[in-house]
Amino acid sequence: MATDPFETEALSFLDALYRTALRMTRSEAEAEDLVQETYIRAFRFRHQFTAGTNLKAWLFRILTNTFINQYRRKAARPETTELDDVEESILYRHMRDVSPGSSSPDPEAELIDGTLSSEVKDALEALPEKFRTTLLLDVEGFSYKEIAELLDIPIGTVMSRLHRGRKFLQKRLYDVARERGIVAARAMPRPAD
Amino acid sequence: MDCNDCLEKLYSYLDRELSPVELTAVRTHLDDCGGCEDQFVVEDRFLARVRDCCHEDVAPSDLRTRIVARLRMEHDAPR
Repeated sequence: MATDPFETEALSFLDALYRTALRMTRSEAEAEDLVQETYIRAFRFRHQFTAGTNLKAWLFRILTNTFINQYRRKAARPETTELDDVEESILYRHMRDVSPGSSSPDPEAELIDGTLSSEVKDALEALPEKFRTTLLLDVEGFSYKEIAELLDIPIGTVMSRLHRGRKFLQKRLYDVARERGIVAARAMPRPAD
Repeated sequence: MDCNDCLEKLYSYLDRELSPVELTAVRTHLDDCGGCEDQFVVEDRFLARVRDCCHEDVAPSDLRTRIVARLRMEHDAPR
């Protein structure tokens, strides 16, 4: 069978779609189903895609819409949809102010690099869905404008979700690091909630 | 630009979303202000760590095969 350029290009985004689906659904089986459904829809509606425009964004829009329409509805556990405000500059201010006499020349880097990959992913998956989706699209390299268009939300909402989502991640990773003892030795007070 | 103005633009800067004029203003401030610069470096490192962790995962090798088979099936199905 002759190679179909649309198929070849669409499949070049398989890993990106899968890892995003994995974090969205928090399940390997559901991520596979979601990605497969995304491709089926993409091919069914390929006549709606304008050649030469952004195929990656088009595929991610299908992925996101499919997820929101199907998976959000049957989410096994009800989720909170809002995030409490988290104090600014958790990573920076707390590490710097509280541990000026630290033996480490770079305590923030120690915290960030000492965090396990699984802890970062768990923290992402703990985010309420709309914050998680926004952050995941950012991780895949979409601009504020592209994310706004993908999710049909204003750019200001994209920025606010990214900001609050990132602060939530930082607080959670800080707490995890503290529990694991990465920063415990410095008798650091917990950041104010 | 003072430190508050600069830190307000931290993520827009790291996300490469600033206009050329804003970019110059932030860079000029960072050149003069070690405190702000340190904070930008920490946040940049944090964002890179999150990105790297997410990008570790790849699709299972048989997923592509299954998708291609399914697409061919759809394509060949009588309408």
